[in-house]
Amino acid sequence: MNSRAVIRVIAAREFMARIRTRVFAITTVLTVIAIAAYILLQAYVFNKSAPSLDVGFVGAAQSIAAPVRAEAAALGETITIHPYASAAAGQADLQSGTLDALVSGSGASTTVTVRSAVDPTLQTALNDQARQQVLTENLTQHGLSPSGVEGQLAFSVSVNELSPVNAARIEQIVIGLLVAGTLYVTLIIYGQLVAAGVIEEKSNRIVEILLATVRPWQLMLGKITGIGLVALVQVVLVAGVALVLASATKLVSIPTLGVDVVISGVVWFVLGYLIYALLFAAAGSMVSRQEDVSSVALPVILVLVAGWIIALTVAAPDPGSTATTVFSFIPFMSPVIMPVRIAAGVAPFWQVAISVVLAIATIYILAAVAGRIYRNSVLRVGGRVKFSDALGLAPSRDRVV
Amino acid sequence: MLELNNLSKRYGSLEALHDLSFTVNPGEIFGFVGANGAGKTTTMRVVLGVLEADSGSVIWDGSPITFAVRRRIGYIPEDRGLYPKMTVIAQLEYFGQLHGLTRGAARGASTALLERLGLADRAKSQLQSLSHGNQQRVQLAAALVFSPELLVLDEPFAGLDPVAVDAMTEVLRAEAGAGKPVVLSSHQLDIVERICDRVGIINHGQMVTTGTVRELTERGPVRFWVDAPSAGAGWYDSVTGTTLVEQDGSRWLLQFEDGADEQAVLRTALATGPVHEFRRDRPALTQLFRDVMSGEAIDE
Repeated sequence: MNSRAVIRVIAAREFMARIRTRVFAITTVLTVIAIAAYILLQAYVFNKSAPSLDVGFVGAAQSIAAPVRAEAAALGETITIHPYASAAAGQADLQSGTLDALVSGSGASTTVTVRSAVDPTLQTALNDQARQQVLTENLTQHGLSPSGVEGQLAFSVSVNELSPVNAARIEQIVIGLLVAGTLYVTLIIYGQLVAAGVIEEKSNRIVEILLATVRPWQLMLGKITGIGLVALVQVVLVAGVALVLASATKLVSIPTLGVDVVISGVVWFVLGYLIYALLFAAAGSMVSRQEDVSSVALPVILVLVAGWIIALTVAAPDPGSTATTVFSFIPFMSPVIMPVRIAAGVAPFWQVAISVVLAIATIYILAAVAGRIYRNSVLRVGGRVKFSDALGLAPSRDRVV
Repeated sequence: MLELNNLSKRYGSLEALHDLSFTVNPGEIFGFVGANGAGKTTTMRVVLGVLEADSGSVIWDGSPITFAVRRRIGYIPEDRGLYPKMTVIAQLEYFGQLHGLTRGAARGASTALLERLGLADRAKSQLQSLSHGNQQRVQLAAALVFSPELLVLDEPFAGLDPVAVDAMTEVLRAEAGAGKPVVLSSHQLDIVERICDRVGIINHGQMVTTGTVRELTERGPVRFWVDAPSAGAGWYDSVTGTTLVEQDGSRWLLQFEDGADEQAVLRTALATGPVHEFRRDRPALTQLFRDVMSGEAIDE
């Protein structure tokens, strides 16, 4: 029976044992809800419907009503004009809540009355139109043509953006962070499941029968593969839901989410999972009880958290920066940072290739080191195995073959 | 045939095994007895390759044992372990497949074995829902599901009630009957005495003595129980080399020196009248074990 067959049998058991658990169902549903909530919130913030105001104009103020409404409309707000002959009637409607604001007076003495706070867009429009009114009056008094002066003033300063932030760019960063965030959460959850699974076999002592039949590295790789496939199923489910929702809410249009981003997301998930699962497996093999898992898993988790913080604070704001580029090469960071760069479209192929090669090399080295720690630790019960013993550096007391 | 040659193993300053050797023949049940910490579990782990000996060798059918051969060993470790939340049948199928059976073959073997062990109705139950005795049976099934060529069982009777012991014994006899060597360790010396063909007593990592139960129990002084109601005190004095060890009513326990003729004693007893019992006194393995242990203690 060759190694591949052994690993397949072990992985199949892990997969079947875990895919049917309540933990899998709960974490899948919770992740989907979290992603859906995030996307819906984003959609709400981006597509917030324009507010609509009822504004009363008293007497002379009615002369600026139409220009104010036009300017507010240009700024994205809808104003409904309610003319009033007397201030008293307007005040009454304002008090009763029928009106949002009541404008009276004219020119420099234009006054707006509101219940508590004035809408900033309305205020801007009123200021502009009242000043305009004063300006027009002054120009006329000095014998100038208001329309001629306005024609000369009808220009804007030209804007020259060196690196424009356009809607598509924000969309790309959102996608990058979604991919990286999904990987981050999944790596944390499934990495710890690997550690817990190793300890489970150690604490219920089944590992001794297993190691009488299979090699330690086969057991470790089988476990990592099985749990990894469960994670992959979850990632695909969550990513699918996220894409459908994001597309439905128009936040992300599927065409901008290139096939390259999806494929690279899966590739980086596999690479990141292998790196962290090996670390978590080695960490788990060094203790004997589930209560101790946090003490050995913490250093691994911290590295992963650091990667995610860098993704959020360095990579997302400026995916093209030198710092982001450097971090995207570091094997323990690359799985959560490179996807942001790829989605932003600032990662040249050769850089991605080098980063992937570095990650694969790291996996090979880790497989040897983690395999050694696992082999030296997994049959030792009791307290935490010392690091030097786990690496087999100290003279062997209880070497397992 | 399984041969262990001069195994030694140290854990730091503790010498767990010292020059330990023994042989188990095909079809033979070899009982491995010793106090806690004597080295039984270490020996078994070395055979399984779970531990590496510092020196010595394990030979299977004339060649050093390999990983491939070790995978053909049915093993029950001292620390039992199966997956608590897996069903009984899935568990057995898993072990069958790990040992190279196809899925279908593993399923067939598992079903047949559960039938044989009286667990067929629990096949779909989670292991943790089974009684302790039934979990032990599943553990045995896991060691047998792939038709091993050799059985190594560390304390297989621990925690079993007499009925379960009988069931386990029956299975082990059948396996040995099929020509497989069986090595088992136990504290329950009465069981070992009853089912093992040969016994090895281990103390402080050394094999103190090995032999069939009969050989071991005959190694002590030759003593006979004689029940002769009509005999008077000193009736045996005429036979040279005969001394009284103990008298219990009409029963006399006599010890014969080398060369003493037990037939002469019997004739002498018959001359006094009826003889209801004339039987070689064999110490139980328990007694022998105590003697060996105390002897070792004195030797050290």
